[in-house]
Amino acid sequence: MKNGLALFLGVFATLALSWAGLLLTAHKQLGSLSQFKDPVEETLNPLPLSGLADQGRLVYQDLGCVSCHTQQVRHEGFGADIERKWGQRASYARDYIREKTVLIGHSRLGPDLRNVGVRLGDTASRDEYAEWFYSLLYAPQSKAAGTNMPSYAFLFDVHPTAGRQASYDALKLTSKFAPPAGYEVVPTARARALVAYLQSLKDTYDYPTERSLNTPAEISKEGAH
Amino acid sequence: MNSTDKNSRAEQIEIDASAKWPVLIFFGSAIMWLLLGGALQLIASIQLHTPDFLSACAWTTYGRVAPAAQNALIYGWGMNAAFAFGLWLMARLSATTLRHGGWLFVAAKFWNVGVALGIAGILGGYSTSFELLEMPRYVTLILLVAYAMIGVWGVTTFSIRNTENVYASQWYLFGAAFWFPWLYAIGQIMLLKAPVRGVLQPVVNAWFVHGLYGLWFVPIALASAYYFLPKILGKPIANYYLAPLAFWWLVGATAFAGGSRLIGAPVPIWISTLGGAANFLLVVPVVVIALNFFGTLAGNIAAIGSSITIRFTLISMIGFVLASVLNFALSIRGFAQIVQFTLLTDLRDWLIFYGCFSTAMFGAAYFILPRLTGLQWRSSALVTAHVGTAVLGVLLLTVGLAYAGWTQGKMLNDAAIPFGDITKAMTFWFTFRSVGLGLLLIGHVAFLINFIWIACPINSRGTPSAQFSNPPDLKLSNESVTEGHA
Amino acid sequence: MSSSPDNNYRFEQAGASDDSIQQVHAQLQKQKPDKKNGYSFLPLGVLGLMCSSVFFGSIYLAHYSVRFDPLVVNESAKREKPGAVVVTAVPPAVLGKKVFTTICAACHQVTGLGVPGIYPPLAGSEWAQGNEERIIRIVLHGLNGPITVEGKDYTNAMASLGTVLKDEQIANALTYVRQEWGNKAPEVKAETVARIRAEVGPRTAPWTSAELLKIGQ
Repeated sequence: MKNGLALFLGVFATLALSWAGLLLTAHKQLGSLSQFKDPVEETLNPLPLSGLADQGRLVYQDLGCVSCHTQQVRHEGFGADIERKWGQRASYARDYIREKTVLIGHSRLGPDLRNVGVRLGDTASRDEYAEWFYSLLYAPQSKAAGTNMPSYAFLFDVHPTAGRQASYDALKLTSKFAPPAGYEVVPTARARALVAYLQSLKDTYDYPTERSLNTPAEISKEGAH
Repeated sequence: MNSTDKNSRAEQIEIDASAKWPVLIFFGSAIMWLLLGGALQLIASIQLHTPDFLSACAWTTYGRVAPAAQNALIYGWGMNAAFAFGLWLMARLSATTLRHGGWLFVAAKFWNVGVALGIAGILGGYSTSFELLEMPRYVTLILLVAYAMIGVWGVTTFSIRNTENVYASQWYLFGAAFWFPWLYAIGQIMLLKAPVRGVLQPVVNAWFVHGLYGLWFVPIALASAYYFLPKILGKPIANYYLAPLAFWWLVGATAFAGGSRLIGAPVPIWISTLGGAANFLLVVPVVVIALNFFGTLAGNIAAIGSSITIRFTLISMIGFVLASVLNFALSIRGFAQIVQFTLLTDLRDWLIFYGCFSTAMFGAAYFILPRLTGLQWRSSALVTAHVGTAVLGVLLLTVGLAYAGWTQGKMLNDAAIPFGDITKAMTFWFTFRSVGLGLLLIGHVAFLINFIWIACPINSRGTPSAQFSNPPDLKLSNESVTEGHA
Repeated sequence: MSSSPDNNYRFEQAGASDDSIQQVHAQLQKQKPDKKNGYSFLPLGVLGLMCSSVFFGSIYLAHYSVRFDPLVVNESAKREKPGAVVVTAVPPAVLGKKVFTTICAACHQVTGLGVPGIYPPLAGSEWAQGNEERIIRIVLHGLNGPITVEGKDYTNAMASLGTVLKDEQIANALTYVRQEWGNKAPEVKAETVARIRAEVGPRTAPWTSAELLKIGQ
C-alpha cells in the first residue's frame, strides 16, 4: 500500500458503507413508525408523554439514572425479564416513539424500569404510586432494604411544619426514615417531574402486528431431539 | 551504509525536536486526566458498595460521577495520549518534521478546555445520558474544531511524507484520524442536533460506541504494536504479507459490528444479527494480527524482561486478543442472554480501552519521552511499580469481573432470586473492583511522578541525560538476507 | 540486545532504524512465504479461515435476520413471509381488562368486590356468571333499582353503556368479568352482543331485575 489516495478511499468506504448499511437502512425502516390505532377502542398507542413526564425525562437524563437502569424488556425465552415481572411482554420498537430521548440502557445494577409505572399492580392508586416513588427516591432503604441505590434526598425539601399548613404531598415516612419531629419532607418540582415520568413508564398495550410477528415458531426441533 | 545511518539519525533528532512540545503537552494533559478520571472512577466504584459515600450532593452521585469518569478517561486521557503518540509516530514514519507545532498547542488547549467543560457539565446535571456522548451539546463544536486542527496535522504530515513506502502503523493511524471525527460528528448530529426517532437512537449510540473503541482506540494500539515490535526487537514482523488483509478485514467488519451491543433490545433483529456476524468475521484479522505479533515475539522472550515498552506492548496484545474473544462471546445469543447488562459487558469495553489501548500508550510513552527530552526516567523503581500494578490490576480485574459478571448474570436470570440478594452477592465484587482500580491508580501516580521528573524543566537537575546509539538497519530474516535492502 | 540490562528501564535503545523498518516491510509485503514443501500451510489456513467465516457468517445472518423485518425482535420468530403469518389474537379477557379498569372499575372496583351496600360485587356474583343475555342487557341499557346479589340487596342505578362501548368492547369486558377473580363462566361473543342489541332495538329505559329474571327461564 503506497498509494495514499487508495488508502483514503478505502478508509472512507469502510465507514460510509456501515453508516449507509446500518443506520440509514434502519432509519428507512423505522424512521416513520407511527402510533397504532386500536380498531376497537379507537385509541392511539403509545400515548404521548404528558408535559410533566417529559420534564421528568430530562431529570432522569441529568441524574444519570441510565447508568444503572435499563428500559427494555427482553422477549420471553431470552433472560428472565418477563418472569421477573419487568413487563407483561417484550418491548417493541413502537413503544419508544413517544420518547424524545430513548435510553434503553446498558447496565442492570438496578432493576429494569420500562414498566415501573405498573410495578405495584393495578390495585394501587395513583397517589399510592407517587408516595412509593417519593419514598424510594428519598430513602431507598425504606422501600428496598439492602439496595445500593443512593438517596436522592436533594430532590426534596425538609422544612418545619410550625406556622404553616401541612403539605398535602408530604412523605409519609416511618421509623428511622422519618424527618425529625416538627418537620416534613416535601418533593420539589424536579422530584414531581421525575415521578410523573416514572409513572408514565408502562407498556400495557399489546400491538397485534408485533405480537403476531414475534410469536415464536413452533419449535419442532426440540421435540425431535 | 554509514552515510545513510547518519542521515536517518539526523532526521530523527530533527523530527523529535519538532514534536517535543506538542507531544509533551498532549502526554502531560493525558496523564492529568488519567489521574482525575481514575479518581472519579474509584469514587463511583466505592459508591456501589458504600451507597452513602458522597451521595448527599447531586454533583457527586453515582449517576453523574460514573459517566464523568468514563468521559474523563476516554476524551481526556485516551484522546490526548492517542494524539501525542499518533502525531509523533506519524512524523517519524513519514520522515518529516511536525511543522508549525504552535498550532497544536492551541488545539491542545481547546481540546482540554472542551473536555473540562464537558466533565463539569456532566457533573452539573447537563448530561445527555447517551453512552460516551454524555458531554453537553455546547462542547461538541469546541471538540470538533480542536480535533480538526490535530487531525489535519496528522494527515498533512502523512501527505508530505519523505518516504517511498507506507508502513502498517501508518494505515491504522491514517484511518483512525478520519474515523473519529466522522463517528463523533454523525453521533452528535443523529442523537443531539437532529435526533432520530425511537429506537434508532440506541442503534446510533451503539454504532458510535463500538466505532469509537474499534475504529479509534484499537487501531492506535495496533499501530503502536506494529511499530515497537520491530523497532525494539530489531526483527521484522512475522508473516507481514498478511497484515494488509488483516487491516482491511478488521476495520471493514468492525464498522458493522456495533449492532452486536443490542442483542435482545427492542430493535429489528437483523441489526444485532448483522453485528454478531461481523464479530464472527473478525476471527480472521484477530488470528492474523496475533500471528504477526506473537510470531515476532517468539524466540525473543528475553526482550520482554529487558524492555519496558515490549512488556506493555505484550499486555496490550493480550488485552486485544482477550477483548476480541469477549466481543465474540458476547455476540453469541446464549451467552449474551446471561451476561448482558452485567459487569462482564463493562469488562469488554474496559479491556479494549485499558487492557489494550492504555497499556500500549504507557509503553509508547516510556519509549518516546526520553527521546524527546534527552533525559532518562529518574526512578526505575517507579517504572517497575507502574508495570507491576498494571499487570496485576489487569489480571485481577479481568478474572474477577469475568467471574462476577457471570454470577451476576446467572442470578439476574433466575426470577426466584429477589433483586436485593443480587446486590448483596455483588457487594464483594464491587469492593474487589475498587481495590483493583485503586491499585491501577497507584501505578498511574508512579507514572506521573516520573513524568514530572522527565518533562518538567524545573525539576530536571537530578535526572541524568540519556545517550542513544544509532539504531542498526533492520535485516530481512533468515533466508532472504541475501537480498539486502534496496 | 536492544536495551542493555544495566540501564534499568531508564530509557530504551532502538533495535532498528525507521527507514529500514519501512523498506524491509515493503519488501516483505510483496514477498510470499517460502514454499518449502511445494506449498506453505499458513496462506492456505488463512484462506480456509476466511472462507469458513464468510460462509458461517452469512448463514447466521440469513437465518437470524428473519427477513430483515423491522418489527421483529425475537430471533426465534416465524420465518414465513409477512402475509403468511397468522395474526394471533390477544385473548378477549386481556382486552376486556382495559375496558373494565377504565369504565367499570370506577364503581365495581379493580378487585371486583364493589362497595358494600352501594355497588354490587362481580367477583363470585351469580349474575356475572349467570345467563349472558341478562348482563349484556344491563351493560347495553343500564339497570334501575333493587337487585339482589349474593344475598344482599342493592338499590343503586347503573348507567347505560350501549352508546359508549362497541359490541367487541362489551363482549371483552364481560368475558374478563366472567373469568377473573375466580369467576368461571364461558366467554361472551361480540356476535351475541350485536344480536341482543338488534333484538331489543332502540330502548332508553334501564332494565329492572324483575324484567331480567324473566329472560332465559
